[in-house]
Amino acid sequence: MAAALTGDTAELADLLRATAAGDQRAFADLYRRTSSKLFGVCIAMLRERGEAEDVLQDVYTCVWKRAGGFDPARAAAMTWLITLARNRAIDRLRQRREGPLDDATMRELVDDTPTPALSAESSQQRIRLERCLDALESRQKSAVRAAFFTGATYNELAERCGVPLATMKSWIRRSLIRLRSCLEQ
Amino acid sequence: MNEPFNGDREDLTHAEYVLGVLDADARAALERAIARNPRDAAEVARWQKHLLPLAGDIAPVAPPDYVWARIQSALGFPGVQARAPVQPHRQSLWQSVALWRWFALGAGAAAVACIALLVALPRAPSAPPATQVAYVTARIQQDNGLPGWTATLDTMHARVVLVPAAPNPIPNGRVPELWLIPHGGKPIALGVFAPDQATTLKLPRDVSGKLDAQALLAVSIEPPGGSPTGQPTGPIVGKGELHI
Repeated sequence: MAAALTGDTAELADLLRATAAGDQRAFADLYRRTSSKLFGVCIAMLRERGEAEDVLQDVYTCVWKRAGGFDPARAAAMTWLITLARNRAIDRLRQRREGPLDDATMRELVDDTPTPALSAESSQQRIRLERCLDALESRQKSAVRAAFFTGATYNELAERCGVPLATMKSWIRRSLIRLRSCLEQ
Repeated sequence: MNEPFNGDREDLTHAEYVLGVLDADARAALERAIARNPRDAAEVARWQKHLLPLAGDIAPVAPPDYVWARIQSALGFPGVQARAPVQPHRQSLWQSVALWRWFALGAGAAAVACIALLVALPRAPSAPPATQVAYVTARIQQDNGLPGWTATLDTMHARVVLVPAAPNPIPNGRVPELWLIPHGGKPIALGVFAPDQATTLKLPRDVSGKLDAQALLAVSIEPPGGSPTGQPTGPIVGKGELHI
């Protein structure tokens, strides 16, 4: 299994390298294999399909132009792509002036203990991260998950959870410190 | 008391950046730092490695096909049917958005005249049987009186070419779907399309017998992927008679 996973990661890295060299077919293949995941990421954060489509277009336009900046030694191809999508989606969220979340969305994101749809590439790290998240207090774990999935600011998270800003900051910052020591031990 | 206090003092900006909780200014400041300082970049990469596995929980969602078409168009890839102006030689007439948009905005009679011209072009297949309709157009009018799209049904090649004229914005998260409504019959789905660029849809082979002057084309607003029921579920935002 490990060999297959590595193969997948390596293939995506090859496609990104070929894309950087201007290979349109490789770029199309890359899109075919990764766009559903990135679109899922955009929809989760933006909660709005039309905007998610715009951001997805923006992301792949950027991939075509900046694939040369991908360094497989630094990050797996999928991590690089998801990061790019998240950053674009967050930028878009920050441009919005209205509150990006409704309460139902928040509940859905916070209360769920999802069955992780483990992506092949990251299943090992995902299991480890889940173990470390489970060691947090449930409110803090929820706050971290909500932050990651929605891209909301401290202010927005505090408002949505009905706690003071300082409390929300403290929950998340303490969680980050604990996650780091748990993940790096 | 047994909670650590250093959480309020320690610099966690890189982690907060990756988690996505920083406001626009703080994000921009860190992005500048990343570009300048390899240590900032390395610290961000470290947190990405820690936190990005959470993205495994996000279910993939297939984007609509027109997003890929838009990407190709934006990057200027060749061989893409796009908004870009097309060389004005005859074979490109079908794809010429400007021409079709002009049709849509111009008088219906002029459009019909132009269609007659098109049929006469050398590209048109030799002498279609007199009873068989080759090209049928419809201007899809909206409630505001403006044409939303021009549709040209090409029964010879079993396709519909839809060209935007002045479409009203489509609600976010929804897509327009084109329907053929035969006289006295139920709507027949012709497919969802990109509201803001020329789109070619397949025409079911069996509809050519249903194209008459009393049939209508209509556009309804549907969930992504189209009506789940096979009949329009959202509001009709435009309709038009067939010009035969």
